[in-house]
Amino acid sequence: MSMAFIDGGTYYHHATRNDPQFAPCFDACIYAPELDSTDLSPFDCIYVASRQDPEYLLRARPRFEAFLAAGKTLVVMGDNQAQDWVPGVCWESTPVNFWWWLTPGADSGLRLGAPEHPLVKAVGLDAFTWHRHGQLQVPAGATSLVNTVEGGSVFYDDRVSTPGRILVTTLDPCYHHGSRFMPSTTRFLRGFLPWLAAGAPD
Amino acid sequence: MTSILYLRAIGHEFPSFLALPEAEGVIARHVRELGEADFDRFDAILVPAHIDQRALASHSAGLTRFLNRGGTLVFNGHLVYPVLPELESFVPAPGGHLDDLIVERVGEHPVFAGVEVQDLSFRRGVAGFYGRGANPPPAGAVVLHRLKADGSPLDWYWERPQGGRILMHGGNTLWMYVDDDTSAARIGPQLLCWLKAGIHQGA
Repeated sequence: MSMAFIDGGTYYHHATRNDPQFAPCFDACIYAPELDSTDLSPFDCIYVASRQDPEYLLRARPRFEAFLAAGKTLVVMGDNQAQDWVPGVCWESTPVNFWWWLTPGADSGLRLGAPEHPLVKAVGLDAFTWHRHGQLQVPAGATSLVNTVEGGSVFYDDRVSTPGRILVTTLDPCYHHGSRFMPSTTRFLRGFLPWLAAGAPD
Repeated sequence: MTSILYLRAIGHEFPSFLALPEAEGVIARHVRELGEADFDRFDAILVPAHIDQRALASHSAGLTRFLNRGGTLVFNGHLVYPVLPELESFVPAPGGHLDDLIVERVGEHPVFAGVEVQDLSFRRGVAGFYGRGANPPPAGAVVLHRLKADGSPLDWYWERPQGGRILMHGGNTLWMYVDDDTSAARIGPQLLCWLKAGIHQGA
């Protein structure tokens, strides 16, 4: 499907969308400050990379809502204050532990929620696992791919809250991949982006 | 008195660096609120690594004017947009293994006084936070730290021939260490003291 990358102008957004292994997944790049004046109708999927300035996303909220009303797919990566502009999103702050993996045998606190989901099959729990910036409450009828032991989700697939499809996560792979840091984020993108570009098939 | 502008990258983030006593008087403003008059007003501009470089590059002429009149730019991050015409884009270091990421000091600067280079190479035993490549230094720049393995110049200080100074760090924001319990926590306050001392003490 035709997918647009939302670019916040950071080095890590630049590095990810221009990475030769990922660039073919995207048909266009939209600079976040220009979102509220950009026609989104040519696209089937909008990929909002992690760590945008939420000011620009808030401004474009009516465009995202119209996009979803047209039955299209909105992908919202972590640290984007999705609760303020994405329908149905309820986000809770949790302590961010960047260092848990330094303790041998430590528990990431993440559990598979939907082992049969095609993205989980494509990526695997390990590639969803680094740290998390809060957790999400899953809307009724949506599918959590990865749960937290506290009863939330770090990634869900919502085909019920709007006529479209919302994939939302608290994970921030773009920042770490683009910083050349944290290999599981690269593994995650290697599974996730080709699956999206193929139309996020069941 | 040195007037310092801190360019905020993302609206909801407010770094503890700005809560340091040494940060008193620093003006924090989002990059989207940057105006042309700012380049004539401030003595120093601090840019964190998360900055919208496209927005900053749209002010390239203003930044050049700011430097030409003697301003100091402290820039963090991988440079990928034409923020200044004389600067070249980030070059990744070839290796990503621990041995490739050890930092060595090759130049002295007051901002790093008393900072153990070991605390730049490792955070909690993890290597690679300080730098994994470099924004190439212009001729005449003084390299301060580099990767021991391949010589990537991780940070450098440059007195521009046309005026002004650049303290460049092609990695995570220098003041991200401010809450660490290592000597790297000295960087943030020492940077502010260096700027407020009038900068001319130099490298």
